[in-house]
Amino acid sequence: MTSKDSPSSEVSIRAEHLSKVYGEFVALHDVTFSVRRGTVCAFLGPNGAGKSTTMKILTGYLAPTSGRASLAGFNPSDSEQRLLMAGRLGYLPENGPLYADMTPRELLTFVGEIRGVRDIRAAVERVVPKTGIAEVLAKPIGKLSKGFRQRVGMAQALLHDPEVLILDEPTSGLDPLQIREVRALIRELGREKTILLSTHILQEVEAVADEVVVIREGRVVFTGTVGALKGDESLENRFYELMEAKKEVA
Amino acid sequence: MLALRPRVVRAIAGKELRSFLGNPTGYVFLTLFIGTSAAAAFLDDSFFGRNLADLATLNRYIAWILMFFVPAITMSTWAEERRAGTDELLLTLPVRDGEVVFGKYLGALGVYTVGLVFSLANLAVLMYLGEPDMGLIFANYLGYWLMGGLFVAVGMVGSMFTANATVAFILGALGCAGLVFAGAWPWSAGIVGTLVFAAVASLTWLVATGVARGVAIAALIGGVLGLAAWLGGLWPGFAEAFSHLSALEHVAWFGQGIVRLGDVAFFAGGSAIALVLCSLLLNRRHW
Repeated sequence: MTSKDSPSSEVSIRAEHLSKVYGEFVALHDVTFSVRRGTVCAFLGPNGAGKSTTMKILTGYLAPTSGRASLAGFNPSDSEQRLLMAGRLGYLPENGPLYADMTPRELLTFVGEIRGVRDIRAAVERVVPKTGIAEVLAKPIGKLSKGFRQRVGMAQALLHDPEVLILDEPTSGLDPLQIREVRALIRELGREKTILLSTHILQEVEAVADEVVVIREGRVVFTGTVGALKGDESLENRFYELMEAKKEVA
Repeated sequence: MLALRPRVVRAIAGKELRSFLGNPTGYVFLTLFIGTSAAAAFLDDSFFGRNLADLATLNRYIAWILMFFVPAITMSTWAEERRAGTDELLLTLPVRDGEVVFGKYLGALGVYTVGLVFSLANLAVLMYLGEPDMGLIFANYLGYWLMGGLFVAVGMVGSMFTANATVAFILGALGCAGLVFAGAWPWSAGIVGTLVFAAVASLTWLVATGVARGVAIAALIGGVLGLAAWLGGLWPGFAEAFSHLSALEHVAWFGQGIVRLGDVAFFAGGSAIALVLCSLLLNRRHW
């Protein structure tokens, strides 16, 4: 095993002074946080706060304007390290984009082929019951409900049994029952994997996360445990305080 | 380091091929291509006037047909991925940009090849009417395939610039039209040459600086330099030089049954350049 291939340290995900600038617009400003291995971390913030941009940088889809990211010990901005990193990462992008003309089975087989999964059939049989998509395996993804599409997205992210999961709003568009199921799945996966999930739903943070990173207007305004964020107050009050405090500073 | 892994390329090519051939629209396009090529081959009066069982009439029109048909295949290769957001899914899998580009190219080339194979019905008509020279027919079809391969690569470049498939089709058709018109008239060769200057200047800027900002100014400077070289008389043989970019000129030799290495290299090299350009444009998400 080379040093590049070596397993990551205690910290699975690290963002160091990440900035992302589009023309005049600063999407991220000096974002720094880390997620320890085996932790479920909620990335909390209102819409447009920079959650998805951060996740796109961590997964190597975008490069930061400045700063450095690392995931499972690999630098996603380095094209060769990104390949190794992507093998250990399961990613559910925002809104679960999937190929509408494929069936879930075709999609999982396609992802399995690209990922070099040795026994794709066994991998599919492992993730299908976990994500509850058995009844729609042969239907075109384009004809599935948002909830099923989201679950298919989860299935492709879990297919290769990754050590790190990045889930961009995994419960978006789901009904209450499905939300409950997905949260239970995340809690179960969180026992052995590192998970960073973005959300703007406070209940979700309390339901699944050990730690939380709060972001507003591209800046991190809190990192720590859910308990530390709440203190003696309700999570809702503390969240609004953080949002208002930043407004006053601005 | 830059090696393409066959497993990954095959998976992406297969997905592209299945996506096109699993869609009724794909069959409409293929049927249109077969019908149009048959009409071009046999409905021209000169076909029966010459009394020869060959594809000389089709050779005259094939570049013009492919100019529209091929971009219809390639228009969705990138535009649709971007529109649906699936590019984010694909590019965060363990794939190299080059593997995605080459896989998509092979998929689109596969669709075109299927169309070309079905158009061999033209050969059946020739065999019914007379005794075609099989060597000549083979050279003709090799030329069609190579020219289509170049147009596929150029069409993919057009699809890189937009999330709208219709716009991607127009851009692809314009790119292919440049390769056809370059050999049609001296003035069109001059325009193509000027556009090449602008494109090279833009790319040089992008590769040198790594930022998209300022690319329009670079293109403008390149275009002005091209015009100065062409109309300003700084390069007297400007139009003549760029007329050699014409696919018509190179495919004409195949039409006569002559397979020249230079013509094969033109189509293969042009395809390679366009695919490298696709990789550079795909990498722009990091700029």
